Amino acid sequence: MSSQNPKRVPEEASDPSLSVTLDGETVDARPGETILELAERHGKDIPTLCHDPRLAPAGACRSCLVEVEGSRRLIPSCATPVADGQVVTTANDRIARHQKVLLALYLADQPDFAARGETPGGAQACELHAMADAVGAPTDWPKMEPLRVGREDRNPYVQFFPEACILCARCTRYCAEIESVSAISLAGRGAETTIATADDVSLLDSSCELCGGCIDVCPTGAMTEKMPVTAGRRGHVEPEKVVRTTCNYCGVGCQMDLHVEPAANDGRGRIERVVSPEAGTTTNDGNLCVKGRFAYDFVDHEDRLTTPLIRAEDGSLREASWDEALARTVEGLMGVHERHGADALAFVSSSRCTMEENYLVQKMARAVFGTNNVHQCAAT
Amino acid sequence: MAGLVTTFGAGAMTNSIGEIRDADVLFVIGSNTTEAHPIIAMEMKRAVHRGATLIVADPRSINLTSFASRHLKLRPGTDVWLLNAMAHVICAEGLVDADFIETNTEGFDAVRETVARYTPEEAEKVTGVPADDIRWAARAYATTPKAGIYYTLGITEHTHGTDNVYGLANLVLMTGHLGKPSAGMNPLRGQNNVQGANDAGATPIFYPGYQRVDDPEVAARYEKSWGVPLPREPGLNLNVMMKETGRSIRGMFVMGEDIVLSEPNAGALEERMNGLEFLVIQEIFLNETARFADVILPGACFAEKDGVFTNSERRVQRVRKAVEPPGQAKADWEAVLALANAVAEKRGLTPWRYDGPAAIYAEMAKDADKFAGISHDRVDREGGLQWPCTSPEHPGTRFLHEGGVLRGKGLFTAIEYRPSVELADPEYPLVLSTGRTLYHYNAATQTRRGVGLAEKQPVAFCEIHPADARARSIEQGDLVEVETRRGKVACRAMVSRQVRRGCIWMPLHFAEARANLLTVDDGDIVTQTAEYKVCAAKVTRVAEQPAERDAFPGSFYAVAGPEQGTIH
Repeated sequence: MSSQNPKRVPEEASDPSLSVTLDGETVDARPGETILELAERHGKDIPTLCHDPRLAPAGACRSCLVEVEGSRRLIPSCATPVADGQVVTTANDRIARHQKVLLALYLADQPDFAARGETPGGAQACELHAMADAVGAPTDWPKMEPLRVGREDRNPYVQFFPEACILCARCTRYCAEIESVSAISLAGRGAETTIATADDVSLLDSSCELCGGCIDVCPTGAMTEKMPVTAGRRGHVEPEKVVRTTCNYCGVGCQMDLHVEPAANDGRGRIERVVSPEAGTTTNDGNLCVKGRFAYDFVDHEDRLTTPLIRAEDGSLREASWDEALARTVEGLMGVHERHGADALAFVSSSRCTMEENYLVQKMARAVFGTNNVHQCAAT
Repeated sequence: MAGLVTTFGAGAMTNSIGEIRDADVLFVIGSNTTEAHPIIAMEMKRAVHRGATLIVADPRSINLTSFASRHLKLRPGTDVWLLNAMAHVICAEGLVDADFIETNTEGFDAVRETVARYTPEEAEKVTGVPADDIRWAARAYATTPKAGIYYTLGITEHTHGTDNVYGLANLVLMTGHLGKPSAGMNPLRGQNNVQGANDAGATPIFYPGYQRVDDPEVAARYEKSWGVPLPREPGLNLNVMMKETGRSIRGMFVMGEDIVLSEPNAGALEERMNGLEFLVIQEIFLNETARFADVILPGACFAEKDGVFTNSERRVQRVRKAVEPPGQAKADWEAVLALANAVAEKRGLTPWRYDGPAAIYAEMAKDADKFAGISHDRVDREGGLQWPCTSPEHPGTRFLHEGGVLRGKGLFTAIEYRPSVELADPEYPLVLSTGRTLYHYNAATQTRRGVGLAEKQPVAFCEIHPADARARSIEQGDLVEVETRRGKVACRAMVSRQVRRGCIWMPLHFAEARANLLTVDDGDIVTQTAEYKVCAAKVTRVAEQPAERDAFPGSFYAVAGPEQGTIH
């Protein structure tokens, strides 16, 4: 397993002892960091596709090539450590020419989305097409029919479109190095290389834990969310509203971005996707689990309570207004208070609700009803 | 939590989640981290890939044990023996941090005397863990500076839960693994806001920020702040409330918990619920408890309201409203505010005025030093902040006890092994433990309403060792009845070597096979937390329709092959 060492960015405190010339400027470099990390620290914008700060470098996509004095060929900055006295150039005509050719070749191996009337990308935007635009790659090179094939998969969350895959292996490396379940891997050879599970079984029947990290790291939308596809939508749509919030399941406190369609549900709004913030920015480091990423359909479930309910004489529940329900509650709780005293009341608040709500419940128990019989539900 | 407050002076993870990947030894006990805290498990696995030593102590072979250097597969409920024996080794082999003990702790001598009697060889007889493994684990933990302990409800949900916490704390204190990065003692919180609910004072003994209700100075301050006289006697805690339901407790308000699904010995609780004169619940779905409610108020889910949650590592983070609640449902703070003011009006008290959650938070922070520097504004600006954060300039606290234990001196507590309250016997020969799975969440009112999770894990099940299954003519997927002295439920048998022989395990999520009809409600002597992890049970096959083919698709646990080995 030691070969899978996640990339560690040296800490700020470590002694900068190397001197590197970066685009003509002498800068301090940290021992152990890569040229890409050094360049990013100094505000250089080197394009990458297969790179992820959480993963060991793969050097697979060739988009981050730079010039290093003394090396005849361009070298991958993501996989090359800095060295004392190194002279690095991150942008010049040669590198620009390389990027144009590289991206034109990638595009030639992709379907002609425009001709199909489709937007490239999955639920997420396509980094490949955006990068091709940015470097001005030619788009008129002859198309090759992709030979990659996928599999039928009844899992409800993850869709794989093999035609859009560029084999950068971010998904399979994420699956092995971060989620550590190795459910998917590169399979096949040459132009038929694809992403597969062992024996092509459904992700449901594999070691996959459905975390959806493969979707999150995919730069082209080859791995994407299945729910929109099932609903007949393909391709990326810019979210109208993005809300940063905290997951409501376990105690890790993952940060997540809710992509919201505000006009849906008669103006109530609908959560279209859940996306993790960029790696390295929050406690969850760009990761989410199956519940955080996918288990939000309860929000709009038809079983949601939408009105107060009151127990009728015959034991059935009937709908009521808030005023009526509150009046009945005051009568009920104060009745017990009058008959048996404040300590005959108990208040159970919730580790699922907000801090403010828990504060109000304990204040209500103590200040309004006069009892310390208040406890949140997860008392340990 | 009580154990932690007693020992260290603060009931929370001492360290941060981001430090886990840099730990060199991780001692994980009573935590099925990959299923209950998947993102923390990812960090642990990253540490292992980096070369860290992972030690897992758990009665089951959980997913994490396949990454572990050693798996201490102890018998359920024998944690004190294991921990005392580890302490025995550390003391006997001179691996204690004498300087730390001298400067930062008190009570070590009593612990040293007690653990002298807990030899690894005797421990092996009780726990089933080989003495050599206990020695190995103790040495690895004690001799590695960046060694962290991670635990959850497998430690606390016992009648001796607080003892287990003391046992762990003793290890931390005698080795000095405290007050530095990637070390410490880290309870992983099960719910999004367990930490925040405790912090906010939703406990019978504390006002916000762990200020005791029976401290006259504290009470006087809150009386001044809130403008009313306040009760000075600590209230009943949850497990006692449940036992007093229908007896001394006659009226109840429940927000966001399905008590008859989640609380132990639920059958008996249901009977007592009938003795309540009034029950109001505030919920987003009709749950099992709703059957007993006189009034049900529709609440809002996390995506429909503003506020903060505080995570396991004491980090206060924002919850932001993304969509409107359905129909007439209201954010729970609005509902509680409306109710409190309706009662206040009737009792002639001054009504409360808050123009939103930010104002509520500000009021709470004003009277609780730990959070005084935190506000919605600041969290919006800077991202999550970890308490203690005592002033608007304070940067927050990544790990506790730096430069000295918060309590002043870390308190050693000598503990003796006490068996669980209900042990296996000829009539009920198996030991039942309960827990959570990756694909569902607690009462599963949310997760079982999604298409995907219900597909991955559709049916209630009970894990049983192949030898125990064979003795009962039970095959994979058979319908079985699990019975204890308190009740019985039917579910599918998952024949699996993940559980020890003589032990069975059930998830708590399934309303149609409520594990908590089976569990005991005897509580820990300090916290009263019930022993969800140990009770005596029997399992019988029910002759009925054959199982659906795919009861456990792709399950990590339902392996037919030989028992999974660990790397030694």
